[in-house]
Amino acid sequence: MAEVEIVKKFKVLNQYGIHARPAALLVKAAGKFECDIFIEKDGNKVSCKSIMGLMTIEGFPGSTMQVTTSGADAEEAMAEIGELFANKFYED
Amino acid sequence: MLSLSLIAGEKHLNKRLPEIAMNRPGLALTGFFQYFANQRLQIFGLAEFTYLKSLANKEKFRRLEGLFEQQIPGIVVTRNRKVPPEILDLAERFKVPVIRTPMVTMNFMNECTALLEKLTAPRERIQGTTMEIMGIGVLLRGDPGIGKSETALSLIERGYSLVSDDVTEIRRTSRGRIVCWANEVTRYHMEIRGLGIIHVPSLFGVSSIRRQTELDVVIDLKKPSGNEDRTGIFPEHVAFMGIEIPCITLPVRSGRDMANIVEVAALNQKLKELGHDAAKELDDKVIERLTKGRVRHG
Repeated sequence: MAEVEIVKKFKVLNQYGIHARPAALLVKAAGKFECDIFIEKDGNKVSCKSIMGLMTIEGFPGSTMQVTTSGADAEEAMAEIGELFANKFYED
Repeated sequence: MLSLSLIAGEKHLNKRLPEIAMNRPGLALTGFFQYFANQRLQIFGLAEFTYLKSLANKEKFRRLEGLFEQQIPGIVVTRNRKVPPEILDLAERFKVPVIRTPMVTMNFMNECTALLEKLTAPRERIQGTTMEIMGIGVLLRGDPGIGKSETALSLIERGYSLVSDDVTEIRRTSRGRIVCWANEVTRYHMEIRGLGIIHVPSLFGVSSIRRQTELDVVIDLKKPSGNEDRTGIFPEHVAFMGIEIPCITLPVRSGRDMANIVEVAALNQKLKELGHDAAKELDDKVIERLTKGRVRHG
């Protein structure tokens, strides 16, 4: 099985940034996949499957986050994570 | 803590301190510059001021000018001494901040050394939950959903203290230890599947939390693989910022009381640090009997 690694950058577009609700959505989405998913900002890297991690990463509105997915279903995972960012976590 | 107040050079506070240390410039004030630690914070205490007082005004200025010409990064005046106008003028000209503290020089230097070390220590953010179990710092790691937070919760119920849940900040001390603490925003909160976010000290009291702990052992929770160490004779290590920490891999099975096992692992680690390695001692005993070639009965 080929090990796929995808790296993409997303802008936080919702009004309040990555607070509890968007964090929960990200964790829920990430949890469906087998692959490793990490979110990185300013040299801080946390698992996208950790609520606590996402709430410490300081995802201010307007900031850019780097998402890395690696594993068999990396592509599908990246698509789903990207959808959440693009739709402002269904807020506003 | 240091009760600092800024006297001059606010615009130059962003100056870099090339050497994380302090220097008393007494010798430099006498005009001796062959060995002057000019890249350190310069501390003016009673000795420096008394010496400056003994000089005529013109000479005093010349000596201080010599000091500033060495491109010092900053000056701290202790004991709340009035800063002489010569120093203020020169600080302005050479763009050097001047700071004052009411503390006695020696106390200030002790406190400041500790603080500088803490602030400049290399630091990282790692994934894992940190607990303190009877004075032993334990970092629990493992894949999402393996039960780190649940194990931590059971340990809290047993009376041990939470340091950080899921995200741990670490720094290396000059003594070669790793110190763990929690991110300020989420400090003392935990996420428990099904419950959501809880605030630990509100539920379990202030004794259930600890601000920071030195890391003694790492415990990796893993799905059973079948090739776990069954003797404990071959300890593994994991490195954080160049510091090796003993690492134990615990297979997680349903119905296994992980908190109990983590507790014993921490205690066993403490025992090892005291010089008793049960696995090795037993093995040595077995080897000794085997090499003697006979087994005594009874």
